[in-house]
Amino acid sequence: MAQFSIEPAVVAERVPRARRFRVPGEALAGYALVSPAVLYILVLVAYPFFLALYLSLSNVTVAGGFGGFVGIANYLRIIHDPTFIKGLENSLSFTFFAEVGKSVLGIGLAFLLLQSLRGKKLIRGLLMVPFTMPLPLALLGWKWMYDPQFSVINRVFGDMLHLMHQPYPVWLGDPVFSWFAILIVNIWRGFPFAAVIVLAGLTSIPKDILDAAKVDGAGFFRTWHFVIVPLIAPILFIGLIYDVTFTLSDITIVDVLTQGGPNGATETLPMLAYQNGIIGGNLSSGAADALILFPLLFAGLVFFLRMLFRRTVEE
Amino acid sequence: MSATPARTDVSRLGRRPTPWRRLRNRSLLYVALILYLIVACFPIYYMLMSTLKADYDLIDPSVNPFWFKRPLGLEHFQYLFSQTNFPIWGLNTVVVAACVLGITLAICIPGGYALARLRVPGAQHLAVGIFLTYLIPPILLFIPLNQLVANLFNLENSRWALVLVYPTFTIPFCLWLMMGFFKRVPKEIEDAALVDGCNRWQAVRRIVLPVSVPGIVTAGIFAFTLAMQDFLYALVMVSSSDQKVINTGVPTELIRGDVYFWGELLAAALLPGILIAFVYNFFLDYFVQGITGGIGK
Repeated sequence: MAQFSIEPAVVAERVPRARRFRVPGEALAGYALVSPAVLYILVLVAYPFFLALYLSLSNVTVAGGFGGFVGIANYLRIIHDPTFIKGLENSLSFTFFAEVGKSVLGIGLAFLLLQSLRGKKLIRGLLMVPFTMPLPLALLGWKWMYDPQFSVINRVFGDMLHLMHQPYPVWLGDPVFSWFAILIVNIWRGFPFAAVIVLAGLTSIPKDILDAAKVDGAGFFRTWHFVIVPLIAPILFIGLIYDVTFTLSDITIVDVLTQGGPNGATETLPMLAYQNGIIGGNLSSGAADALILFPLLFAGLVFFLRMLFRRTVEE
Repeated sequence: MSATPARTDVSRLGRRPTPWRRLRNRSLLYVALILYLIVACFPIYYMLMSTLKADYDLIDPSVNPFWFKRPLGLEHFQYLFSQTNFPIWGLNTVVVAACVLGITLAICIPGGYALARLRVPGAQHLAVGIFLTYLIPPILLFIPLNQLVANLFNLENSRWALVLVYPTFTIPFCLWLMMGFFKRVPKEIEDAALVDGCNRWQAVRRIVLPVSVPGIVTAGIFAFTLAMQDFLYALVMVSSSDQKVINTGVPTELIRGDVYFWGELLAAALLPGILIAFVYNFFLDYFVQGITGGIGK
C-alpha cells in the first residue's frame, strides 16, 4: 500500500499496471469482446475472398453448377478476350487520368482552403457535396446533363458561348466522348476528397519547420518541393492508395451512365465482372475478371500496411 | 481582414505582401474559389432547377437552362410520393441503415474498448488487420457474397441481405474510430473508479461510456451514412422493387425504357442525396482521420 503515499499522477500510472497483472482473465475477456468483429470479418470478408479465388480457378455457372477445377484456364481465356483487354485498358486509364485530375484540382483547392476566409465552413461544405452525396444519385444529374438531345453542356458551350459547333457531341453515345464523360464524373466526384487529404497533411506541418525554411530563404515552390511534400508524403500516399482502390473498383459511374457502351468503349473490369458473373451467370468468369485487379490492389495494401506500422511503432 | 491572423503558416509562405499584392491575391483567391464552387455545385443546382421546372420548360429551347419560363412547382415531388415506390425505398434505406448502425455499434463498442484498454496480446496487429479489410473493395467479394447470402443465410432478394453485408465495411472503420476515442479518454478517470471500488464493468458503464458518448454518436452516424453510399451490393443482391433501397431503386426503376421522366427522377435523386451529403459533411473529418489512421491529426 506504499503507492498511496506517492503523488496522484504516479499512482494512476502504477495502479492499473499492477492490477492488470493480477487479472489473468483480462486477455481472455479482451479476445471475447473483439471476437464478434473478427468473426464478422472472417465469415463475410475472408471466406468470400477465398471463395472468389476458388471460383476463379474452377468452372462454376449459376445454371450448370460446379463444372470442375480448371486451374488458371479462366484467366488464360479472359486475357485473350478483346473485351477484357479493353476493360483492363479503360480501368487503368480511367484510374490514372482521374488521379492526375483529382490531384491537380485537389492540391489547388487545399491551398485555397488554407487561407482565412469568411464563411469557410459553408464554402467547404458546398465544395464537398460531390464527394458526400451518394454517387448513384448524383450520377442521375450527370446523366441528364449528358442527355443526347438536351445536354446542358452543349447548350452552354455551344448555343450560349459558341465554343462548340454543330453537330454537338452525343456525350454518352460516342466512343470518345463517353470515355471523357466517365473521366469527368470520376474527377468531379473525387477532387474534394483529394483536397481534404492534402489539407489534413498541410495543417499537420509544425510551424517552426516552415519558419526555418523561410529564414533559409526558400521560396514557395522550393518549400513545397523540399519541405512540405516530404513531410506530408505518408498522408498523401495513404489518401492516394485509398482513392485508387475505390476508383479502380468502382462500378457505379459506368453502370449508371453507359453500362460499358457504346460498343464496349467504356467497359471496365468491375463492369465486366458484373456483366459476366451476375447478368451472364458465369460465376467463374466474373470472379476472374474482378480478381485480376487484386495484384494491383494488393501492392497498395502492403504499402498501406507498412505506413501504418511505421507510424504505430513510432507511437 | 488584417485583424484576422492567417490560420496556418503554410499560407504565409513567400514574400511579404504589399497592399496592392494583397488586394490582387485576395481577388484571385475569390475568383478561384468561385470557379471551384461552380464546378462542384453546378450539377446540384441544375438538378434542383430541373425538378422544379414545368416539364415543358425542360425541352423548350427558348428557355434559359439556368432559369425558367413557366411557373416553378412541386408536382414532381408530389408525383414521386404518390405514384412511385419511392416512399418504400426510402423506408427500406432507413431500416437498413438503422440496423447496420445497431450491429456496427454492438460490435465496435466492446471491440474498440478491448483493443484500446485491455491487455490483449497482439491487439495492435489485430486492430490493423481488421482495419485493412476496409481496403478490400466490394468488387472482389460481390459474386461469392451474393451466393453466400442467398444459399447459406437464405436472404435472397431481401433488404435483410444488405443489413447482413454492410457491416463488412462499417465495422473496420468504426472499430478503428472507437478504438481511437477510447484511447483518448484519460486512463486516470477509469483508474480512479477502480481505486474507489468499482469493478471493471462498473467503471466502464458509469465512467468510460458516458464520457465516450460523442465518439459513439460519431461512429453510429458514420455507419449510417456509409451504409447509404453503397451501390454494388444493393444492385446485385436485391431485385424486387419493394425490397430496394433508394440508391438502386431510383436509377433502375424510375428510368423506364428510353423514356426518362427527368422531373421525378431528379427529385428522387436530389431529396435523399442532399440530406445524406449534409449529414456526411459533419463527419468528413473523422472519415479522413480514419483513413489516414490519424496521421493528419
